[in-house]
Amino acid sequence: MMDLSVISIFLTNLIILIGLFIIISLSLNLEYGYAGIPNFGKLLAVAGGAYFVGAASGRILALAYGQPAGLGYIERNLEVVGFLNNSLSSSPLQSIGFLIFSIMGAAFFGGLLGYAASYPAIRLRGDYLAITLLAMGEILWVIGDNWQPFIGGSMGVRIPDPFRWIESQYRPVAVLSTVLLLALMVFLYLEYLGRSPLGRLLKAMRENELSASVHGKDVVRLRTRTLIVGFSIAAVSGALNSLWTVSVSPKDFERVRHTFMPWVMVMIGGAGNNLGAVIGAIIFVTLRELIVFYKYFFEAIAPFDVVWLEYLLMGIALIIVLMYRPEGLLPEKPTRTLSEKRLREIAASASSEKLLEEA
Amino acid sequence: MSIPLLRDAIIFASILTMLSTGLTLTYMTTKVPNFAHGNFAAINAYFTLITAKLLNINPYVGAISGFFLGGAIALLLYLAILKPLLDREASYIILMIATIAYDMILLSIINIVADYLSRAHRITSRLFQLREWGYGVEILGQPSIFIVTPLLAALLVISLYLFLNRTKFGIAMRAAIDNPSLAGTIGINVSLTYAVSWFISGGLAGVGGALAPLHMTCNTDTGTRLLISIFAASIVGGFTNIYGAFLGGFLIGLAEVLGTGYLAINLGSWVVPYRPIIPLILMALTLLFAPQGLTGINWDRVFRGRRA
Repeated sequence: MMDLSVISIFLTNLIILIGLFIIISLSLNLEYGYAGIPNFGKLLAVAGGAYFVGAASGRILALAYGQPAGLGYIERNLEVVGFLNNSLSSSPLQSIGFLIFSIMGAAFFGGLLGYAASYPAIRLRGDYLAITLLAMGEILWVIGDNWQPFIGGSMGVRIPDPFRWIESQYRPVAVLSTVLLLALMVFLYLEYLGRSPLGRLLKAMRENELSASVHGKDVVRLRTRTLIVGFSIAAVSGALNSLWTVSVSPKDFERVRHTFMPWVMVMIGGAGNNLGAVIGAIIFVTLRELIVFYKYFFEAIAPFDVVWLEYLLMGIALIIVLMYRPEGLLPEKPTRTLSEKRLREIAASASSEKLLEEA
Repeated sequence: MSIPLLRDAIIFASILTMLSTGLTLTYMTTKVPNFAHGNFAAINAYFTLITAKLLNINPYVGAISGFFLGGAIALLLYLAILKPLLDREASYIILMIATIAYDMILLSIINIVADYLSRAHRITSRLFQLREWGYGVEILGQPSIFIVTPLLAALLVISLYLFLNRTKFGIAMRAAIDNPSLAGTIGINVSLTYAVSWFISGGLAGVGGALAPLHMTCNTDTGTRLLISIFAASIVGGFTNIYGAFLGGFLIGLAEVLGTGYLAINLGSWVVPYRPIIPLILMALTLLFAPQGLTGINWDRVFRGRRA
């Protein structure tokens, strides 16, 4: 008999993870689904956001409270973070301020990273960009894993907890609501963007770069801006992830989970459709968590770690979708700039005018 | 510069040349950067481990079968996945995603094999090396790996050169690269030439990967780590020129090992883990200033100045 609290912990964790991955896959949908940019460096953005929280925002808070912020922040990490947590737990306002600062800082840092990482290849064909971004993601991992003063090297670093003023039993709910709120905000923003003239321009660029530039659109600038926005959004997910686990460690962010999984989610959900990205995230995070949850059950019958089975399933699922249903589960729909009713009215008046002309 | 460091550099550069040549070859034919190329090599590193430790076969003999295993894995990717997609005129982005998906399947297989080897046969399958073969066995007073790898790389590169220039099929392949529809019109079986290019590419990666554990410590993520160096080598050489891949592979291999070694001597051993930054910087500089790579630069113009 399974304990009820086990199920509720599983569900809260699951929903938080779904929210985090919805943010990532939505950002990829903006880059690939709308603008056609093959960003194989999602890891770079997500880890970048988390690394900002680990390296900068905790230190800035320590500085504000007169605590060691330089090397001492890493060396006396537990002590410093303990002190900061005590201060934060008594002040909801400062906690919320810290939370907002961390998220906005991560978004800014992520955007900067996106600009810098894509700069060498942004003018070239998309495959060069994909290779460059993938390589940059690996390099960020190498730096995070080895450079001690940055985020404590492979040991990682603990960070202050902005949810500490809430009673500990309600903390997961607070994290969950924050994540879902941000996911909703990103969703609404991208839906709005998709319907705006900019959204149509991005799709025009995706369909035919040459014709977009012939019509006077600066394709390189448009691509750069899209990547900056996409990186910022994905960095928010990374920042939230570390604020939830109150630690940043390079091993939490890796290519398969943060670059490949979002691609699977977007391609299977349906590229160019925000709802598809959401559905994709829900399906694959749930699948993954179920495999991890029942790991002990599989472990008894298989002579290997079952996590690898998940890689295999995702790879095969992606290939099948690419070959047999490239538009995904929820295909892209034409975006209407006006409401259905208004469109009907225009059509009706146009046809009556035409009748009058003929008569 | 010490002798062992120079030796390391030449061995690694030879392995990288085999890998980058294959990557460039398939990029030239199917116009897709193959993100699974690193794991073509890694899977063969495990193949060597199995043949040497489980079957007690000399790994140098195993490396020859590595050519066929690597070739078969690459051919499967082309025939089962890329060709159907190409026939449907899928965009190069879709093809790239397909190679990443294949990479993920290979990564999963590599890890399952590694888990199985360590759990069922008690063989060290993570961070393993077979240096007792590469350095323990000597030829002419030198470690055998130092003799075999550069020789094999040179042999493979020269045979590829002869194949592309002196055989009818190789010339047909070059025609299919330059203009697929024209080549098809005059009776060249374009998809056959592409399939052969994938087999050769995977075979080269297979030999490189099979020899890797004799020289360096390999792990399940070796393919992923190597991928940066392979792409850097192909791009620095010029992604659409097979001779550029020879050049780029050797240059990046030397730069990576010698550069890291030189910096480690002068700054301390803490620089060693940052080794992948060297190929990345060289690749970024190439993309910024000469995106066509070294073989794409008009050297006449560089040396003689602008012609009137």
